[in-house]
Amino acid sequence: MSTNEAVDKRPATAEEMASRPVRFAVVGTGGMGGTHARNLAGSSEAEVTWLVDIDTDRANKLAADIGGKVTPSMDEAFSSGEVDVALIALPTGLHRMGVEAAAKHKIHVFCEKPIARTNEDAIAMTQICKDAGVTLMVGHVVRFFSEYMRIKEQLEAGTLGDIAMVRGSRINPPVMERSPWFADVAVSGGVVLDLMIHEIDTFRWMFGDVERLFAHGLSFTDWHTKRDHAIASLTFRDGTIAHCEASWAHSAFRTSIEVAGSKGLAKHSSFDSSTLIFEPSTGVEYEGIGQQSKQFTYMRPTVTPPHLRELLVFIDCLRTGKPVPVDGDEATRTLIVANAVLDSMRENRVIEFNEDGSVKQA
Amino acid sequence: MTTKTVKVAMLSFAHQHAIGYAMVLNALPDVEITVIADEDADRGQHWAQTFNTQWVASIDEALAMDVDCVVVCSENVHHKTMTIAAAKAGKHVLCEKPLATTVDDATSMIAACEEAGVQLMTAFPVRFNASILALKDAVHSEHFGETLTIAARNPGTNPGQWFVDPALSGGGAVIDHTVHVVDVLRFIYGAEVTEVYAQSGNKLAGGVSDDTGLLMFKLSNGVPVSLDTSWTRPSNWPIWGGVTLDVIGEFGVLFANAYNNNYDLAETTTPSYTWQPVEHTGDPEMVSAFIDAVRNGTDVPVTGTDGLRALEVALAAMKSAESNQLEPITHA
Ligand SMILES: NC(=O)c1ccc[n+]([C@@H]2O[C@H](COP(=O)([O-])OP(=O)(O)OC[C@H]3O[C@@H](n4cnc5c(N)ncnc54)[C@H](O)[C@@H]3O)[C@@H](O)[C@H]2O)c1
Repeated sequence: MSTNEAVDKRPATAEEMASRPVRFAVVGTGGMGGTHARNLAGSSEAEVTWLVDIDTDRANKLAADIGGKVTPSMDEAFSSGEVDVALIALPTGLHRMGVEAAAKHKIHVFCEKPIARTNEDAIAMTQICKDAGVTLMVGHVVRFFSEYMRIKEQLEAGTLGDIAMVRGSRINPPVMERSPWFADVAVSGGVVLDLMIHEIDTFRWMFGDVERLFAHGLSFTDWHTKRDHAIASLTFRDGTIAHCEASWAHSAFRTSIEVAGSKGLAKHSSFDSSTLIFEPSTGVEYEGIGQQSKQFTYMRPTVTPPHLRELLVFIDCLRTGKPVPVDGDEATRTLIVANAVLDSMRENRVIEFNEDGSVKQA
Repeated sequence: MTTKTVKVAMLSFAHQHAIGYAMVLNALPDVEITVIADEDADRGQHWAQTFNTQWVASIDEALAMDVDCVVVCSENVHHKTMTIAAAKAGKHVLCEKPLATTVDDATSMIAACEEAGVQLMTAFPVRFNASILALKDAVHSEHFGETLTIAARNPGTNPGQWFVDPALSGGGAVIDHTVHVVDVLRFIYGAEVTEVYAQSGNKLAGGVSDDTGLLMFKLSNGVPVSLDTSWTRPSNWPIWGGVTLDVIGEFGVLFANAYNNNYDLAETTTPSYTWQPVEHTGDPEMVSAFIDAVRNGTDVPVTGTDGLRALEVALAAMKSAESNQLEPITHA
């Protein structure tokens, strides 16, 4: 029997995972996979047993720092009997392939956002995991950032009253040079599926489902291989009007949120609230501070980084059987809105949604 | 050679911007506020006393006086009658924005001033702001390259009073705050707005007028723009609001925050925390440009047509917020 069949396998149980560190295979050891692997390796709740990447040099470098076996083959890692959870941090267009492989091997899955490139893939992946009896959580990490958690608490407490207008932005340097797959909108979904999906998901988490949207941006212009930038107007079913902005045109990463209601306004900007700022003098080359040590950098160091917090919550859910905070259905609803933003941008038209979250046909 | 004193009649203090304009006029050399006309006696007398001038109740009485020009700061819906009356009396006009509440009113104001041979200037102080002028230079420099997209904001506190009564203001936040940024963009790019999609609401104050607005529009040079026109700043917000433009360009990003030169001030009384201006430019430069044009007989730098073009966008945005469709902008 080929290891691919894996018919006799079963997912790791809550009791097993509660009795020892949860064993992860990190699939894709690039920017995001590398961060997750380091966070997991530094936690007593988890162990990184395998690092999977077709770029084995990259995976080997990481393994030298944090340990774990290296392979270019998911099947090798998944059939080793040493993996409870697959952490899928592959390019977005490959998420379905990774999640399906894990489900086939009856391995629980933490999949990076967006759940998939297409709505069809997202729906299929969610079903496949349900059928296989494995738990799927999608990494909508903004729900685990302290500032968004605090604002959500204020919303639930009613401090701001009836919410009228909200803005969110997520601003980044161009990423296409570092990872060329981002420049192919068909594979990555551009800046909307990489960055704006965070605002879409966070606002859905705060305000519920979207009724209507309109968007514009650069994703379908000749600029998209060098720069991308998108702005969307979202109207939620509760009447909240949202402005979402996402950018790959800047020199540093920044986020902001502003929520305005009948009783008040809450506002946060990562830049304004930074606790450590790095500003190189002209002509002087610094080493060793931040990843972009020769550029202006600002920081907000924390005790538990949000990317670790989301994985610790996932581990807790696996051990206790609690529902995960962002399952496949939830992530799919967010993706449908994000893909509609792309459609609106490409076709210059207003898009309306049905109550079930699906797109209203024009 | 002696400089001729320019004599100004201020027609109504219904719009609080009149206070700022009067402060500038009083500070300018060889300028006199000859009279304040206001049908609200308490208000008119109060400001006449403050600015050391006389008060009359009737516009006609003020226009019969020896004045060179007028500053119209009435409720929006009265801009038309006051401007046309001033034109017929041969007085140049500086009219508060929005120029009018309908396209017909605006075009008849422009026509009346043309016929009478007087100048009509729309009060758009933001294009005189130093950071906006610097932005204009910067976006056209080769280092910035092509402008790709813009996110703009003009959020403010709800002014209340007649501003929230559409019968007097012509709308709410959308008509109040669309025109400044549209004017700035027309000024910077020499382009017109071609189509607009907008959403608006009234949940902040729950009144009959809109108090929330988000516009998505395109300029004739192809640049897409978003514009927040909302009165989202609560009354105890540390500052009245602001004007910001985030301009995404070929070689970088420019952020203009026109009224951000402030210092933080915390008080033990309410409002407990405010941002106080260190230097806000725009109003003095705009008012003195008007006075210079009146004195020298030169063209005003911002015209009635500029006011009309911005108004057309605001009205189309209000229409879009009703239809939920992209609305084309047509020019009168
Ligand atoms: N939640 C967040 O904050 C966040 C941030 C960045 C990226 N992401 C998501 O993480 C995912 C990865 O993004 P990234 O920035 O790390 O990309 P990346 O290009 O840095 O890394 C992708 C890695 O996948 C490897 N890979 C490609 N094809 C493979 C295959 N068939 N088998 C095994 N490995 C393969 C590549 O060699 C590379 O190392 C994306 O879905 C992205 O949306 C999330």
